[in-house]
Amino acid sequence: MSAEVFSVFYQFADVFAFLILSAAGLAIVFGMMGVINMAHGEFIMCGAYVTVGLVNLGVPLAIAQILAALTAGLIGVAVEFLIVRRFYKRPLDSLLATWGLSLIVTQSMLLIVGSAVRGIGTPEGSFAIGGYTFSTYRLVLFGCAVAVLGGLYIVFMKTRFGVIARATMQNAAMAKALGARTGRIYSISFGIGTGLAGLCGALYAPTMTLIPTMGATFVVESFVTVVIGGANVLLGTAPAAVFLAMIRMALNASYGQIIGQIGMLVAVILIIRVLPEGLSSVLVRRGR
Amino acid sequence: MFKLLEGPQTLGRGKIFWSCFLAVLAGALTYPLFADSYDVGNFAYFLIWIFMALGLCLMWGYGGMLSFGQTLFFGIAGYGYGVLAINMGGGTATIAALALSVVLAMVAAGILGYFMIWGGINGIFFGIVTLSATLVLAFFLGQTAGPEWHIGPARLNGFNGMKGMDPLAVGDFYIEGSALYYVMIALIVIVYLALRMLVNSGIGNVIVATRENPQRAEMLGYDVRKYQLLTFVIGSGLAGLSGALYTSWGQFITPSSIGLPAAAMPIVWVAFSGRSDLTATLVGSFLLLFGFQTITVYSQQAALVLMGALLLATVMLAPQGFVLGIGKLAADWWSGRRRRDDSPVMAEAGRLQSEES
Amino acid sequence: MSLVEVKGVSKRFGGLTAVSDVDLTVNAGEVHCLIGPNGAGKSTLFKLIVGLYPPSQGSILFDTVDITKERPYARVQRGMSIKMQAPSVFKELPVRQNIQIALQERLSGAERIAEEDRLLTLLNLGPDSDKLAGALSHGQQQWLEIGMALALKPQLLLLDEPTAGMSPEETFKTGELIKSFNAEGMTVLVVEHDMAFVRQVAQRVTVLHLGKIFARGDLESILQDAKVAEIYLGKTHAH
Repeated sequence: MSAEVFSVFYQFADVFAFLILSAAGLAIVFGMMGVINMAHGEFIMCGAYVTVGLVNLGVPLAIAQILAALTAGLIGVAVEFLIVRRFYKRPLDSLLATWGLSLIVTQSMLLIVGSAVRGIGTPEGSFAIGGYTFSTYRLVLFGCAVAVLGGLYIVFMKTRFGVIARATMQNAAMAKALGARTGRIYSISFGIGTGLAGLCGALYAPTMTLIPTMGATFVVESFVTVVIGGANVLLGTAPAAVFLAMIRMALNASYGQIIGQIGMLVAVILIIRVLPEGLSSVLVRRGR
Repeated sequence: MFKLLEGPQTLGRGKIFWSCFLAVLAGALTYPLFADSYDVGNFAYFLIWIFMALGLCLMWGYGGMLSFGQTLFFGIAGYGYGVLAINMGGGTATIAALALSVVLAMVAAGILGYFMIWGGINGIFFGIVTLSATLVLAFFLGQTAGPEWHIGPARLNGFNGMKGMDPLAVGDFYIEGSALYYVMIALIVIVYLALRMLVNSGIGNVIVATRENPQRAEMLGYDVRKYQLLTFVIGSGLAGLSGALYTSWGQFITPSSIGLPAAAMPIVWVAFSGRSDLTATLVGSFLLLFGFQTITVYSQQAALVLMGALLLATVMLAPQGFVLGIGKLAADWWSGRRRRDDSPVMAEAGRLQSEES
Repeated sequence: MSLVEVKGVSKRFGGLTAVSDVDLTVNAGEVHCLIGPNGAGKSTLFKLIVGLYPPSQGSILFDTVDITKERPYARVQRGMSIKMQAPSVFKELPVRQNIQIALQERLSGAERIAEEDRLLTLLNLGPDSDKLAGALSHGQQQWLEIGMALALKPQLLLLDEPTAGMSPEETFKTGELIKSFNAEGMTVLVVEHDMAFVRQVAQRVTVLHLGKIFARGDLESILQDAKVAEIYLGKTHAH
């Protein structure tokens, strides 16, 4: 019996980790700036490619993953400086600009790198409980997702940066008047967002085939989690991920991945109709 | 009723504009007489996508609803046409398949639109919910390679796509080549003029009013949700028309015409052209499709990089659209030369100012 | 005969009670002024009547029909229209089209154009009818919005601070305009701070204070009420 309970938890943890890791970066950027980064998937792809490249050069996996996340974060800061910061007053245009960037990056990668890159394989290691075998790496991913949430809690609730960032989120003009350098806060937040996207790609790189269009695999999950969760990563994204993971897990187990994804989408569409008040309060403030 | 062809919601009026319109139309109609049939077929191919662009222009430019789901409805009608044409057999039944598949796309848009609009979704969320639905459909169709995925004799066939449906036909006469080209021209003229009349009508007034200030529109007694849903269904139906024509034209459709990067293309065309005007969208989309197709022959990736760069350049340099901007400059120059009456110019200046603010 | 009956209506926003157990009757054919210091809940009450907020408690009747659960557009179709506190027009559309959108359900063809011209002249917007509404001055936008509200030919016209940003002459003219429409049978409910304006138009006055009805009656008795003077001069609050 306990083996079955663990098996259910394992499946939940697997989906939950995927949702949190793919959505956290997007949610931070949305929460802070009201911008949806349509190139989110490309930052995930960037994290994956850097990881695999470094591992192929002989760098240990864990270090390669950290470096990959940092790389994506630094590129994010540059993108914020060059493109995104012009659009904070025009959120719809920021979507279009980052989508344009996404097209350029994906297709250039296809031109330069081609479609196939030698993968690195999932780290070995499994354990058995009862009659079931579980992959250790999947649990590591769950641990990472929880660590990301914990880390964000510490950064945004316990540090000086976090206080200023939350003040900026509440009322940017007032924070600026009180001396917060909001431009810099936005750069750092965007960097944290894309760094987390890079981390997502780095963590999932060993488990999947690397292609320049791989970002698309993650974006639906990240979009729907943010739509349900709204602007607050800790109070919105995390509960949304728990909720969606339960739906997804139940459907995956009975009907397979694709029905799981369709079911999740249908659930999201039903929720936005049934709870317009709960969502619209967020939407009116941020969604325009 | 034809008075509605001109109005505050559409650029272009008077003898000069309509003379140009007729001249372009005459050129388009005589084109097959002195071009080889391969080129005519290619031209018909560009024209297929114009409906999708005009539909997005209506939703986004006039209605203020930025839908990223044009290829969702393109795909529903495209696959719908395939399934129906295979199941109902060829011949004149294909015309019914075309009509039914467009209706199917509109019904799907009605359902999705109802949940989003009545749920109060707007702004950027409208885009990402529609895009999510689009990508899920593309992923789903990509997974249907197995023989168990069929509707009647029509196999969905996964990534390789569905094929084997008949093209549009009347009896034994297949609508292909020049005939298809003329059908496209006729449909575009009808759709373009009908949309001009729609946006200049009372309904069009409410559609733009809802974009400008939904609360005020409601305070004038309009149920703005119904008008938004109507706009969404019409715009999506036009995407569906493109999809059904596409399947009929090539006798195949694959999930790649739904997912990324295909979903971004209508956005690029309409943003680049100028979303707030139907004529600018018509002209600009045609130019972009022509350019894209020319480059795709050498490298599809390079063509897509260019599309991405154009989208980025548009929002950074000319958020109202390049074609519209150039058109307005030309019109101002022309009217400035013709008469020194400054009252319409003032109105135009007011418009430019408030667009910048 | 009462046209609007607000019965025991409260509105809470989180911990704040903006409107508390308010009863208000507006009789058909009168000009009724709602006055009170800032934060008294006047605009909230307006939004409750027109349906932009659902009440936390209580019910609202229009022409004896309970409209508490109706959406705003349905209430407008029943015969009310509102000019809000902040100008709310279609900024990117020409002035004439703004009026047209308000008129088109009621009139069409030459009749509509004649009525557009009449309203534009009445509101001194004739020369600016081709300008975009967003290019008008604040005061002109107020006029335009009043024009859109009038274009519906409502039974009940709700005006939230119609004269804010207007010169004394313009304010007076607005007052005369309201009186002329009232003479044709339109019921008017106005929120206003300008006492000269209230004196000019009001037939009955209700004073709202801290979300509650503080006093009501005809204009003279309200103006002579010492307690009303106190809340305006702030004597009941030792700041």
